Amino acid sequence: MRNAAARIALLLAAVTHGAATADTASGQVLFQQKCAACHTIGEGDRIGPDLHDVGARRERAWLMRFVTDPQAMIAAGDPVAVRLYERYNRIVMPNLALDDTQASALLAHIDEVSRQHPASVAVGVATAPMPAPALRSPQSAILYGFIAATLLIVTVFVWVARSTRDPATVDTHRAYALRRVLFMAGLVCAITVLALTLPRTPYVQAATTPDRVIHVTARQFEFLFSDVAVDSTGDLLNVATSDRITVAADTLVEFRVTALDVNHGFGVYGVDRQLLAQTQAMPGYVNRVRVHFREPGHYPVLCLEYCAAGHHLMRAGITVE
Amino acid sequence: MRTIDTQTALWMAVTFILFPVLALLGITMRTVQAGGLEAMAGWFYPLMTLHGVGMVGVWYVAAMGCAASVLARHVAPSPLIGRIALAGTVIGVLMLLACVLLGRFAAGWYFLYPLPLHGEWPLWSAVLFLASLTVLGATWLVWSLDLLRAIAARFTLAQALGWHYLRGQTEPVLPPSLLIVTVSLIAGIAALVSAVIVIVLFALELLTGTSSDALLMKNLTFFFGHTLVNLSMYLGVALAYEILPDYAGRPWKTNPVVVVSWNTVLAIVLLAYLHHLYMDFAQPGGLQYLGQVASYASALPAAIVTIFGALLLVYRATMRWNLASILLFAGLAGWAIGGIGAVIDSTISANTRLHNTLWVPAHFHTYMLAGLVFLIAGYFAHLARPAATADASPRRDRTIALLLVGGAYGFFAMFYLAGAWSIPRRFAAYPAELAHGATTAGIAAAFATLFLAGFLYYALDTVRQWRTATRTD
Ligand code: HEC
Ligand code: HEM
Ligand SMILES: [Cu+2]
Ligand SMILES: [Cu+2]
Repeated sequence: MRNAAARIALLLAAVTHGAATADTASGQVLFQQKCAACHTIGEGDRIGPDLHDVGARRERAWLMRFVTDPQAMIAAGDPVAVRLYERYNRIVMPNLALDDTQASALLAHIDEVSRQHPASVAVGVATAPMPAPALRSPQSAILYGFIAATLLIVTVFVWVARSTRDPATVDTHRAYALRRVLFMAGLVCAITVLALTLPRTPYVQAATTPDRVIHVTARQFEFLFSDVAVDSTGDLLNVATSDRITVAADTLVEFRVTALDVNHGFGVYGVDRQLLAQTQAMPGYVNRVRVHFREPGHYPVLCLEYCAAGHHLMRAGITVE
Repeated sequence: MRTIDTQTALWMAVTFILFPVLALLGITMRTVQAGGLEAMAGWFYPLMTLHGVGMVGVWYVAAMGCAASVLARHVAPSPLIGRIALAGTVIGVLMLLACVLLGRFAAGWYFLYPLPLHGEWPLWSAVLFLASLTVLGATWLVWSLDLLRAIAARFTLAQALGWHYLRGQTEPVLPPSLLIVTVSLIAGIAALVSAVIVIVLFALELLTGTSSDALLMKNLTFFFGHTLVNLSMYLGVALAYEILPDYAGRPWKTNPVVVVSWNTVLAIVLLAYLHHLYMDFAQPGGLQYLGQVASYASALPAAIVTIFGALLLVYRATMRWNLASILLFAGLAGWAIGGIGAVIDSTISANTRLHNTLWVPAHFHTYMLAGLVFLIAGYFAHLARPAATADASPRRDRTIALLLVGGAYGFFAMFYLAGAWSIPRRFAAYPAELAHGATTAGIAAAFATLFLAGFLYYALDTVRQWRTATRTD
């Protein structure tokens, strides 16, 4: 359960219900630490299946065995385990070194959450293929510029190749004069482009302040938004996090992005599903990137640095209202 | 009559066997991304890793093998070291195949720290991967040093870098190919040393648990990756300098402008790697700006001196067009076109919108496949086809060239288009928002198949011609 409000409710429930729910509370901690990156309870599939009501789907003994040693079950050819493995991109669920007490605490937690919350399909994730956006973005301008340059190069090469049908001696002095002109033109061109583009870098300028600061913590295979910084997996227990966030329209947001395990890429897409801004999420570093959310709508976040098998499934969402 | 020496023939064999297999992996990846071949979906990332490391490695050794054969015309590389290079490469490749096919190792071709230690693959496969890179790195380091030694036996370092031309001397005569090979070897040694440091730091973590700084490792990794890929390309260009004059019937000589240009490249190419870290905002800002300036500065001499020089060489020459010269000429065009794509991406303000989208494979495939691969294929064609039959079948040559060029550019076009649509690179499957990524992947797979058909036709024909030539010798 990565929904902040629900998590707090759960913690409260654990505290007020006393010993009977101590099991579920430690299950909740374990789930957050060891399972949440790949599973949700009632919010849809991630790297692994949604575990909502898994206690009703499968026998208890099977679940205990699977959770404590999934790899052995797949290796042994257990038909259910193998089917799941094939279905979920042949990603083997890791052995997480759980003992039986921890496994039952986890299963109790999953049952508890399943009972309290009906399953809901994750919001903001498109399920039907969407059509290609019109090529009107800044990216398209780049593409058209590139096509123009390519056509120029092809034209020159074809023209030179065809000139060999009509051989003649070439005046090298004139050619070198032309080279000088081309070099100077290239130099002027390069300096102009440098002068125009270098001031427009995405790095945060100290002089301005953002309307809002949001912390982003990346790990295999999820992005977690929070209001305070998360420095370690342990912090995740004390900090309310979510993989979805809502922002008011026309706000300048500063994301402070870090990672807990490997490098990830925090890529913010616009409402037109074109890349709007990005920065790397690196272990041990915080990268600050600012995004001005003008239009209301859904802004998907995708992982833009390869981070192992679940990379293409690693995502989050920003809703602008 | 030209003949291929045994060593070059062996490198040709390595290339002709490994490249089609690796290209087939590429076609498989595009098909999976298009939603086909569901059974292979779980293999996407291991195959991507094998394809990436394999391709970079194969074309690096092919370029080095060709460079060694060019050097052998002017100086004397050690045949023993040549054999060691071949053996070390084969052993390294076998280890690589084992860790990917048996261990499903999948950290991507530049195995960015600390991913190799945090994947779903077993630790032994990561260790085997690093061990295979150690074998390859050590082998190639020795090989590069020996080629430099061979050059040093005839030229001082200053002469091999052409500095005497700047003082107005033209003795000793330094062929441009030798100048470029020297520049590339020096850059290559720097790159390999950086790779060694990365591997040592990985080993340290494995043995003692000391972790490294992620940003430092990224700098080292891209210094190595960027430099290795670029110098392979330069070695390919050296081949054009060496044999295009044969076909144009005009000389292509070293002069002060050529010397200044390639010395500038040596100084600047080592800084250009910084453009891989633009999206690491923690990197000191000055280095980011330096990255863009260095990237632009390394493109200019290449374009104005080498491309212009090649065009001038061919312009209104009594040109002998056959498969070799067509491929060399087209290879230079591919280098230029891919270079434009790269220069665009090396602009910081464009990089925010293009970094790690398919624009990146778009431009590096352009200069690797339609640049380096064409140049080396042209060189092999040149060696294999004895002059007497060189112009024997213009129709066959044109068919091959058409398949290669048409297939390659159709394949690239889909990458560029997808890049402009912000489709991320390295996605085994595309989310519903980016479903158009799958459409472009399908079209790309078809074009790549066309290209592969052309390459197989070319390879079989080249081997056949070479065997005919050696029999009549
Ligand atoms: C790295 C991702 C990952 C992590 C972490 C992970 N799982 Fe899984 N899990 C999977 C995958 C993938 C499957 C599907 C089976 C397979 O491919 O191995 C799965 C399957 C399951 C199943 C079977 C579901 C069914 O429908 O029968 C259960 C139960 C389960 N996981 C529980 C857990 C628990 C509890 C944890 C934490 C202790 C956990 N998983 C951690 C990836 C993960
Ligand atoms: C017919 C030929 C080829 C095909 C079909 C092909 C296809 C592909 C595909 C589909 C990808 C994955 C793109 C993605 O990120 O989604 C890829 C990546 C790559 N290719 Fe190729 N390719 C070909 C030739 C080459 C050549 C000649 C080279 C280099 C000399 C090369 C080097 C690479 C590298 C380095 C990667 C990146 C791997 C990574 O991200 O770890 N490829 N290729
Ligand atoms: Cu990620
Ligand atoms: Cu990722």
